[in-house]
Amino acid sequence: MTELKKLYEAILSGDNKTALAVTQQAVSEGVQPMELITNYMIPAMSEVGRRFECEEYYVPELLLAARAMKGSLEVLRPLLAASGAQPLARVVIGTVKGDLHDIGKNLVSSMLEGGGFEVIDLGTDVTPQRFIEAVHAHKASIVALSALLTVTMPMMKNTIDALKQASLRDRVKVMVGGAPVTREFANSIGADGYSETATSAVALARQLAAAVAS
Amino acid sequence: MRLKLIACEVLYREMCSAVARAAEIVDMEFLPKGLHDLGGKAMTAKLQECVDRVPAGGYDAIVLGYGLCGNGLHGIEARHTVIVAPRMHDCIGLLMGSRQRYEAYFQEHSGSYYRSTGWLERGVDLLQLAPYHSGTSTNLAELIAKYGDDNGRYLYEELTRFQSAYRTLTFIETGLECDGRFEEQARREATGKGWEFEKVAGDLRLLHRLVNGDWAGDDFLVVRPGQRIEAQFDGNIVRAVEIAAPNQS
Repeated sequence: MTELKKLYEAILSGDNKTALAVTQQAVSEGVQPMELITNYMIPAMSEVGRRFECEEYYVPELLLAARAMKGSLEVLRPLLAASGAQPLARVVIGTVKGDLHDIGKNLVSSMLEGGGFEVIDLGTDVTPQRFIEAVHAHKASIVALSALLTVTMPMMKNTIDALKQASLRDRVKVMVGGAPVTREFANSIGADGYSETATSAVALARQLAAAVAS
Repeated sequence: MRLKLIACEVLYREMCSAVARAAEIVDMEFLPKGLHDLGGKAMTAKLQECVDRVPAGGYDAIVLGYGLCGNGLHGIEARHTVIVAPRMHDCIGLLMGSRQRYEAYFQEHSGSYYRSTGWLERGVDLLQLAPYHSGTSTNLAELIAKYGDDNGRYLYEELTRFQSAYRTLTFIETGLECDGRFEEQARREATGKGWEFEKVAGDLRLLHRLVNGDWAGDDFLVVRPGQRIEAQFDGNIVRAVEIAAPNQS
């Protein structure tokens, strides 16, 4: 029997090869995907988040942990789909128009995938219209907007306003983030949630998904 | 009038030139460009430390050679001396001379990477403060040394991939350059990354006005003792609020 604790440790240390090997071995031995996700992968990412908050980890360590986790998830995803497991929610994510920064957005995207969400990543420089089209096409219930520049932050408001005009605002929750974004700004533009870090974005998305479902 | 200028080293040449021609007495202090990589809160804390070292009664005003810079000015408190800051998103706007010009250029040139003398000569080889916070100040060799070959290459790809989305390198020429070396360096960088090269004329009038006490109109924010700087995400960029007011960020 493979030692599943190694999956936790491999994600924590960003060792994608070990994470993948342990996952494949566990699956071949009949371990349930949800057990791996719930008992090892999510706790590993939570610990990564904790270390990031107290500055033991920085962005590179987050990226490596996310890479290791995603490698394992790719093995598990077909099994989850076959078992009829549904994502917590579908999230359309992107960096707003005019802004080409993607590192933070990619981290949030990985964390959300690891947290059980289906993520539709539209990339950077995303127009309000593309967000609207993706919400329709994927029946998403959460829209996540990223911006790194104060000069592009107003585009977050424009995107939310466009969702209103497209009569989608009541159907989706909007979460915003990015280095210069603040809670006050998020409130002022009518966002439903703000997260300061990629790791806390998962908890926020869970709250928003629950609010949509209720 | 005696002014204390606290500025980012990325504006070193431009600020020195403005101060040399200023009608006022200006003492200068430059802080590392790496503050920008620390994130808004940490940058604010470092700037506040610097502001607080200015002796009470020593100057008529502290002038900041900064834009809002990713909220790096958000929360700075004027305790005993007036603080003056340009209403600007960042140093690129300061070098372009007006936020309207910068915002119009930005809208029309999505995917531009900006360079000036400071960005070229003070970008990589000086001690920066937080190379591993964002990871973006690192190079491939450093990443491989720290994270191993496979992970190091992966990180390099992830941390530099944003560059592939850029299309243009815009060099801001201020006229203070000693010769063509900065433009040549910028052109080489553009060629190396497969970007178009564009040159725009800088406009240093805001820097001159900042160090000449010419703060009338809406280009500058004047923060009185007892007030702090707060980011404001409309055309004004920053505003002054009473320190006693709740910090809502």
